[in-house]
Amino acid sequence: MGEKRRSTSKTLGKNKRRKGPHLPNSILKTIANEKRPLNSDEEDDEIDSDDAIVDLYEYEEGVPEEESRKNNRYDPVVNYNYELPEDFEDENVESDDDDEGGNSDNEEGEGDDVVRHTRMLQAVTGMPSAAFDGESKRKPVLFTEAYPESEFNPTRDVLEGKGLLTIDELMAPIEGKPGFNELEKRISRMQKDAQAVVHAPLPKPERERLERKAVKGLVDKEFNKWVHMVKRNREAPTVYFNQNVSLGYSTVGAIASEFQPRTDFEKKMASVLNDNELGEAHDEDGAKLLELNEVSVEDQIKYRDHIAKMRSLLFRHELKSKRIKKIKSKTYHRLKGKDLKKSAMGALMDPEMAKEEAMKQEARRVEERMTLKHKNTGKWAKRMISRGLNVKYDGTRAAISEQLQINATLSRKMNSTNDGSSSDESDDEEELNDGSDQDTPSKLIAKAREKTLKTVEDDEVPNSGLLSLPFMARAMKKKNEEAIEGGKRALEEYEEWENSGGEENPKKTAVVSGRRVFGATAKVEAPKESRKDSDNFYDNSDSDNDTEGIENNDLGAVRDTASPARNTGAITETEFDDDVENPASKTTFDVALFASGSWKKMKGCQNAETKKKLKKHVPYSKGQDKKESRDDESEDSESEAEEMVDGILTSASKETYEIPSQAELIQRAFAGDDVVDEFEKEKQEVLNQEVPEPEKPVLVPGWGQWTNIQKKRGLPSWMVREHEDAKKKRTLDLKTRKDARLRHVIISEKVDKKVEKLHTTTLPFPYTSKEVFEHSMRMPIGPEFNPATIVGSLNRPEVVKRAGVIIKPLKFEEANPNEKVDDEHPRSNQKQNPKKGGKTGKGQSKGKSKQKTKA
Amino acid sequence: MELSSEDNNLTEKFLPPIEQESDVELETKVKKYLRGEGANLETLKDKKLKTQLASREKLYGKSAKTAAKIEKWLLPAEAGYLETDGLEKTWRVKQTDIANEVDLLSSRNQYDIVLPDFGPYKLDFTASGRHMIAGGRKGHLALVDMMSMNLIKEIQVKETVRDVAFLHNEQFFAAAQKKYAYIYGRDGTELHCLKERGPVARLRFLKNHFLLASVNKSGQLHYQDVTYGGMVASIRTGKGRTDVMEVNPYNGVVALGHSGGTVTMWKPTSQAPLVQMQCHPGPVSSVAFHPNGHLMATSGKERKLKIWDLRKFEEIQTIHGFHAKTLSFSQKGLLAAGTGSFVQILGDSSGSSSSHNYSRYMNHSMVKGYQIEKLMFRPYEDVIGIGHSMGWSSILIPGSGEPNFDSWVANPFETSKQRREKEVHLLLDKLPPETIMLDPSKIGAMKPSRRKEKPSRGEIEAEKEVAIEAAKSTELKKKTKGRNKPSKRTKKKKEMVENAKRTFPEQGHNNTASKKRRIGEDAAAELPASLKRFARKN
Repeated sequence: MGEKRRSTSKTLGKNKRRKGPHLPNSILKTIANEKRPLNSDEEDDEIDSDDAIVDLYEYEEGVPEEESRKNNRYDPVVNYNYELPEDFEDENVESDDDDEGGNSDNEEGEGDDVVRHTRMLQAVTGMPSAAFDGESKRKPVLFTEAYPESEFNPTRDVLEGKGLLTIDELMAPIEGKPGFNELEKRISRMQKDAQAVVHAPLPKPERERLERKAVKGLVDKEFNKWVHMVKRNREAPTVYFNQNVSLGYSTVGAIASEFQPRTDFEKKMASVLNDNELGEAHDEDGAKLLELNEVSVEDQIKYRDHIAKMRSLLFRHELKSKRIKKIKSKTYHRLKGKDLKKSAMGALMDPEMAKEEAMKQEARRVEERMTLKHKNTGKWAKRMISRGLNVKYDGTRAAISEQLQINATLSRKMNSTNDGSSSDESDDEEELNDGSDQDTPSKLIAKAREKTLKTVEDDEVPNSGLLSLPFMARAMKKKNEEAIEGGKRALEEYEEWENSGGEENPKKTAVVSGRRVFGATAKVEAPKESRKDSDNFYDNSDSDNDTEGIENNDLGAVRDTASPARNTGAITETEFDDDVENPASKTTFDVALFASGSWKKMKGCQNAETKKKLKKHVPYSKGQDKKESRDDESEDSESEAEEMVDGILTSASKETYEIPSQAELIQRAFAGDDVVDEFEKEKQEVLNQEVPEPEKPVLVPGWGQWTNIQKKRGLPSWMVREHEDAKKKRTLDLKTRKDARLRHVIISEKVDKKVEKLHTTTLPFPYTSKEVFEHSMRMPIGPEFNPATIVGSLNRPEVVKRAGVIIKPLKFEEANPNEKVDDEHPRSNQKQNPKKGGKTGKGQSKGKSKQKTKA
Repeated sequence: MELSSEDNNLTEKFLPPIEQESDVELETKVKKYLRGEGANLETLKDKKLKTQLASREKLYGKSAKTAAKIEKWLLPAEAGYLETDGLEKTWRVKQTDIANEVDLLSSRNQYDIVLPDFGPYKLDFTASGRHMIAGGRKGHLALVDMMSMNLIKEIQVKETVRDVAFLHNEQFFAAAQKKYAYIYGRDGTELHCLKERGPVARLRFLKNHFLLASVNKSGQLHYQDVTYGGMVASIRTGKGRTDVMEVNPYNGVVALGHSGGTVTMWKPTSQAPLVQMQCHPGPVSSVAFHPNGHLMATSGKERKLKIWDLRKFEEIQTIHGFHAKTLSFSQKGLLAAGTGSFVQILGDSSGSSSSHNYSRYMNHSMVKGYQIEKLMFRPYEDVIGIGHSMGWSSILIPGSGEPNFDSWVANPFETSKQRREKEVHLLLDKLPPETIMLDPSKIGAMKPSRRKEKPSRGEIEAEKEVAIEAAKSTELKKKTKGRNKPSKRTKKKKEMVENAKRTFPEQGHNNTASKKRRIGEDAAAELPASLKRFARKN
């Protein structure tokens, strides 16, 4: 305390000195009083002063020294600790405190005195004020006993010596007064407390250590409770945060049960539905329901009126629609008329009318023949064909083919309508059929020849009219000549065909006709061909039905067990011959020979044949020896093979039977001689390439060869050593190769840079050993490799949480630390509790749910 | 949990013998699905990792067990077999005998299609075995639905056809023709002409990688990606012309057989062969791979048939007196070999999967004069297709096909919708060409360590120690004239040790120096050009 006071006095003194003597003391005082409330510090004064720099320097040096050492304001803890007992003592003496306050009040005055004193000394001695600082410093100590000694102001000796005043002495005068007992008690208690010895506090680090120790124990205890929970969460492969989330209603019934009627209608319905009376009536026999079903007269009238109105409306509407329905368009009538006409023609026609009609038709036909109106020569048709649109669009194609159809019907030679009832078309067909049925191809050819001969022979030139004009005549002649020539050629061809047996002719026509579908002719031609081709074998099968597949033929074949298989084989062979010879089939690119009509049949036949063979042999082999059956089979096939060899197959079989040439045989025989050596050489090469041999050490010419001695020494030893090391290394490398012990194998050990990206260069984080990592990678975890029940748990993420679920902080709970973590999906724990929808998730962690299930 | 497991143990002990047997069976299946042992977790120090891995292993075990159970109970069909009693031998059984015994549907699979005109036929089946493409040497291509025996499409290309192959499904097939290879659609339309390859001798399709591999007349191997048409690799084999080519279905490695008796294996990402094996002293006539990828069968023209273990590259078995023009492994591991007009089926008589002993299982002789061109087992059926000079045939080989098909892998009854879905999935799961390697299970593992170029620090230290020791232990010569004084000797020794040390340069020091320099250089590099002259020079 004393020190502090001294410092203040010193600073005060300084201030005074700086401000100079010209200001009267009273004024300074007032200034100081004015400033104090603001900052209560001397620095303000310092700012006011307009002193020199030297003074400022002095001041700066002084303050930090004092404040850092003596003033404990900035270290409150220490100060508090140290001051506490002193305060306690001070509390005892209340008067002292008051005294001090008084002192501090007086201090200013004292300070003033001191300043004045120092100034005086300065003036007398002429020395700087600093010289008297020591005096002034000591002075405040003296000032504590500045008061004159009296009974109220005992000297320090008295205070410290024998005449010590005790509390008992002080208490004595008030003994017996009211409240004395209480006071005494309090004082005695205080004394007792004061008697307890206050030890010196422990050094700070030690105390702190103790504190820490105590705290650690507490904290450890607190945290240890959490350890098992944390551990469990850490070790769990998955942490779930979606426990106990209510899933809402589960059934329609549950939703419906919550229904509350709100609108009037709903309420009405509810009142009816929940009516007990009604329910009873319904349950009993329903008779009472009638009684309950009261209808008011007004309602009835209303209902009747409504019905009547609706009926009348309906009637009117009906009338209207009837009228509308009668109104028809012009086109409708036109078309209708046409239809009527047509139907009338067919149904009710007397012979005359029919004749007339026939004549009309004939006229139309003639017109068609003249104009060829429908023969794709129209503008539209030409355009379509030229642009290839008829191929592109089905509609166009259909239209064009329809035109052609009309053309065909109209331009066909018409029978006389004498027969009346029979239509010309059918007649035509019949005629053709007749011809085809009876005629063999030779007859047909003969007929054709006759016709051509006739045309060739009767080449009369008309004598009159346009055609008799000279140029026309010339032209006609020329034409005729051409025609005759053509006819002759045709005759020749016919003769040829006749000689060859007339087999090819129908086929060719078939090929041609197959392309163009013109009604009857094609229809007739196809079956004709097939009938001609098929012998007894095809008679039973529906061979004329081209479109039928293998199975059908199959069936036919099976049914026809009587026909010998070999026969069919022969037939097929000849057919193959034909087909192969036929150049037309070869030129077709896509279709090939089998794609034409005959192929399917062929295939069927072949299949049938082979299959039948198999099936046939089965029963034989049952009874007979195995060998025999085998012989049988081979015989069959042998004969077949022979036949094939006779036929077209010779070339094919030649190729497969190719006998190796002498050179080839020799090469083959001696192939083994150098192959192994070659391979070894190759291996050596590869090894040299992959593990190159170290270069032989060489000196640069001229270096190290100055003298004979040097030359004799040869290479320097380090070079030789290096070379030998490299060699050793190479042999080691060769030994460690995978193919080191396999003479017949070279395994490349080149590093493929593209493959490197498929390997990891470093171990992924938690792994520390390569072996463990690679073992853990061995199992695929995808759904393709694992059963569906396990895939989920194999691929479950580390944290399972539904969107929107708030993750709450972990709550403490007691749990068995020895409990095992099992990965069963806890979804089963989730309950559906629709009634208690408001139940919020309590424990969010997995551990919580576990606990629940355990309990 | 513990209690229940104990209960299980108890029940296991008192199981009747039959159930125990079935347990053994289940055990083997579980082992199969576990795909090897788990790692030894005891060596791990990280507790967290340990528990995580342990739980993972547990899951794997569960998965394997369920899979095994599914296989046991839910896969109903059993593989076919041929059983003889007494002195009868399986190879004496004829197709006609089999036809008597089997059901109607199976007996329909015995037939011969005689097509004599277009020469020896090559065959290929789709993965599901539903469709077959037959390519006649003289240009006849026919796509057949084997289930209904319908001819879907046939075309005549009017050129030599050397080989045919299906792409990923029956919608596309490739044909190696006279000049180029072509890809056709299901309806016979020509989609692509693959001109880059030249005249192709053999075509094979790698299903998982969507690569069409081919070897041409000049011995060049081409890989083309059929999804975008890019040529992935074209490799000169440098071994001359060959027409022996097969794909290992396990890893996609292509094997070529050469006239020198070597079989080479290739992948698209390297120009050099992965493996070269000297299999026969004479030309190799055919090669085939077991579906599990561990066995290879080769046959040479010197009338030997050899079976190789591809894990060790060692010969397992040699079958003498037999030269096969064509070889084929079935799904169940039967090996078919065809020569002339004779087909021989070899079966693995040793039951275990580790040791193999192939011996005669069945025979079939075709009609004399039929030259067998190609044998191929039909997947998921006990049927083998034989392409020969007179068309193609099909015979029954009991126990050749996988009885239960996985519709996710290959579905013979696939609808068009499923097929489309499958196609998309296949394309999504397409593997890049670099995944073709000898051991594809190594994908995702640690990079195999290269041979060390520089010795590691520890090694250098060790070497230094050794050198110093050697220097210390050298005996000094006895010298005269005061040079043998102890002080001199110690000095000399010290010098020697110093010399020995000097040969090993200080590592750490060097490193720091270089680092310093690098820092300086970096600073210099970062400065703008005008300020570079002020950068500190070391």
